Amino acid sequence: MTAYVIRRILTGVVILILLSMVVFLVFNALPADPAALTCGKSCNPQVIEANRIRLGLDQPLYIQYWEFVRAIFVGRTYGSGTATFQCNAPCLGYSFRKGEEVTPLILKALPVTLWLSFGAFLLWLIPGVLLGIYASRRRGRWQERSVLGAALVGYSFPSFFIGLLLLFFVVIRWQWLPYPNYVSPFEDPVQFLQTMVLPWITLALVYMAFYIRLTRNQLLETYSEDYIRTARAKGLKEGTVIRKHALRAGLTPIVTAAGLDLAGLLGGAIITESIFSLPGVGRLAVEAVVDADLAIITATVLIAGTFIVIANIVVDLLYAVIDPRVRLS
Amino acid sequence: MKRKSKRGLGLVAIAASGALVLAGCSSDSGDSAATDGATSSATDEAAVEDGGKTGGTVNILLQSDQILHLDPQRNYTGVDLAFMTGYMQRTLTAYKFAEGAEGVTIVPDMATDLGTPNADATSWAFTIRDGVTFEDGTAVGCADVKYGVSRTFAQDVITDGPTYAISLLDIASTEDGSSVYKGPYLTEGNDVAAFDQAITCSEDNKTITFNLKRPAGDFNYTVTLTAFSPVPAAADTGEGYDNAPVSSGPYKISEYTKGQRMVLVRNEAWNPDSDDYRPAYPDEVVVQFSLDPSAIDQRLIADAGDDQTAVTMAGLTPESLATVFAGGDPRFAERSVDGFDPYVRYYTINSAKVPNKMHRQAIVVALNRAELLTIAGGDFAGTQGDGVIKPNLATDYAESGMWTDLFGGEVPDAGNVELAKQLIADSGEPMPLITFDYPQTPTNDKAAASVQASLAAAGIEVKLNPIEAGQYYGVVLDPEQQNELNSAGWGPDWQNASTVIPELFGANGGFNLSRVDDAEFEALVQTALGTVDRTAQADQWKELNKYAMEQAWAVPTRFGKIQYLWGSKVGNAFLWDAYGSLPFGDLYVMQ
Repeated sequence: MTAYVIRRILTGVVILILLSMVVFLVFNALPADPAALTCGKSCNPQVIEANRIRLGLDQPLYIQYWEFVRAIFVGRTYGSGTATFQCNAPCLGYSFRKGEEVTPLILKALPVTLWLSFGAFLLWLIPGVLLGIYASRRRGRWQERSVLGAALVGYSFPSFFIGLLLLFFVVIRWQWLPYPNYVSPFEDPVQFLQTMVLPWITLALVYMAFYIRLTRNQLLETYSEDYIRTARAKGLKEGTVIRKHALRAGLTPIVTAAGLDLAGLLGGAIITESIFSLPGVGRLAVEAVVDADLAIITATVLIAGTFIVIANIVVDLLYAVIDPRVRLS
Repeated sequence: MKRKSKRGLGLVAIAASGALVLAGCSSDSGDSAATDGATSSATDEAAVEDGGKTGGTVNILLQSDQILHLDPQRNYTGVDLAFMTGYMQRTLTAYKFAEGAEGVTIVPDMATDLGTPNADATSWAFTIRDGVTFEDGTAVGCADVKYGVSRTFAQDVITDGPTYAISLLDIASTEDGSSVYKGPYLTEGNDVAAFDQAITCSEDNKTITFNLKRPAGDFNYTVTLTAFSPVPAAADTGEGYDNAPVSSGPYKISEYTKGQRMVLVRNEAWNPDSDDYRPAYPDEVVVQFSLDPSAIDQRLIADAGDDQTAVTMAGLTPESLATVFAGGDPRFAERSVDGFDPYVRYYTINSAKVPNKMHRQAIVVALNRAELLTIAGGDFAGTQGDGVIKPNLATDYAESGMWTDLFGGEVPDAGNVELAKQLIADSGEPMPLITFDYPQTPTNDKAAASVQASLAAAGIEVKLNPIEAGQYYGVVLDPEQQNELNSAGWGPDWQNASTVIPELFGANGGFNLSRVDDAEFEALVQTALGTVDRTAQADQWKELNKYAMEQAWAVPTRFGKIQYLWGSKVGNAFLWDAYGSLPFGDLYVMQ
């Protein structure tokens, strides 16, 4: 088990290194020239060239990459003359567009995305699975149809639609909540909840439908298994049958889906963060792409990649816990 | 200028097509020629007695994640200049807080008057008022302004800002065209003495004298740019100053989190007796960043709670225009405006690649400008233009007559195909293939298709060359890559066509996409630049505008417009032609 985990972590690190290389390569192959993007009114080929030097983009790609990696461990000095400044390790670079170091930018955005993701995750997973169980128990009856139908409606609307709708009605029209303005929950829990509740609901509505259907289908499949009939024949309570036998067997695909969905969200819930003005990783990434800001793009891609890698490891570990037939070796 | 911050696709389009602009525009009524003179007497008339009330919080709702540049030497966006000069950055002179043509006249701010030029306007002196201080209470003197200006020369650190200090101050250039002075951060290989001669300070550190390369009758307009405002050397961190500029105005930053909010509170060190310009009404100014643009519009429309004291820095989105303006809804009549922005949108015709004037004229008259305006968004997007000088640049605008008789016939908005054919026939040469460069956006794609179709009707073959929007100007400003026809946009840097005609068509113009090479025209431009009498100068700009249109170096497609909506408890809100924005420094909260 320990060996397995260590091996998986090492593989993850290698994947992240490759990922960062790919980002550098792809970015370099883009038609967008970041130096030209900084071209203001006094724009001419000389200014663009000067900016290329300032951004460090005049260097060969492998040197740019080496500088990036080195900065993570020993920091880096930017600027020229007496206007130099130090970016201390772990330095993920400096965003000339935002005028800030990337590491603190990421550290500031990360908690927002974490809170958003985990909150929404709980909000869709628990009701999703419970409603899925309920639907499977009411198979073929109106309750099942209404649960599935309602879920389908949520599933059919894109998050930007649900998000804007909630924002317009709940915040702007009816004024039930103040306009979202993120604060840390440790600073002002009330404002935090007021800000987060709509984004959570938005994401939950979008994701929940899938889990309802998935849970229901898994359960219906297991209900027809022989061991379920055996369990019932033994006279076990229906609740116990579902919890201990049916659900546990049907849980594997749900865990896989949930793990990857959560990891995807942690990489940045781009649309939801934008609508609700949440200063998270997703919005940071979008802004960076629009500005062709390599330093931030690299960092956000690495963050997203890290979460995917971690989620994969966790999901694999959970398999072994849920299903004794799976052995990690 | 600076690209505006992105506001969904729509704004990316505007930014890309309009981009390079800056400060200003001016009034709709064009009859006030007064007050602009370099020598017009300046008094303390700047104070605005308009019944404003002290107190409250003004909220500014923004889509962008930050104010692009707070660093005065890097700030080059009209609305950002309006914001910074209104609240935190004092300048030697400033635009009056007033509607219409009056709003593009200047008044003294940090200076005691509007400056004193020498006889040929190659030297300008300003005296700084007593009691002007930074937020730590230290007095602002000539040395601080001089230090601020010096930063512009550090082109590798102080990016994006206007470079008029470099082009105007009397400092020699090296062979590659850059200044021999490299700014305050370099100690070696830097001709500091040259800079010390270009800007001199009086013994008492009160009077600053700018020595210029060439006559500049409107230099006291130039210094409205924050690039000519003070920075305390001790607080200058180069790149980092952009995040924490030292205030000289009535407010200072108490909190600034990019992507979230900025809070300005009263600067206790600011001495109102030294400042007749800023009424400084609200107790606080709160800027909220990274808001969804349609949510901003909806909040202003709903006008509830704190949003009653809210304003924006960007105009309304096209989706909201019908709600606000159609049908004269009384809820919005008193708190909205629909007027000119600072920009002229136009297509340039590269005279190096289309040397035959009649060919260029054929392109101009064949274009279906009515259709182009419809594609851009109709009446809310702008009006038909007739030159590169807009009516809101009040003093310098006059009808060019290009659509009535300049090309030998009437040219309706939908174009005159027959006249175009005639011009081509008369040119004596076959019409070359025209390649149209434009920043690619959905709207511009449609416009390009219209250009192609309308010119085809006159027998002009057009090839389309869409360019990635963010790269557009980088590409077309390179003569090697630029083609025959280009999409462009421009607004004046200050309220004088000296920042339009010479920039667009002059030999040293930074935005000469028409690649004009015309000795006669250039001589006239130089004469106009050196003319100190503002009225006489304006007459010359009018003629030169007409000259350029007759030469068909460019075809205006639109005098751009902008629409603002603000909260019902915001006082003194109006479209300020100086920057095409609201007059931030003049706003107050109705109690």
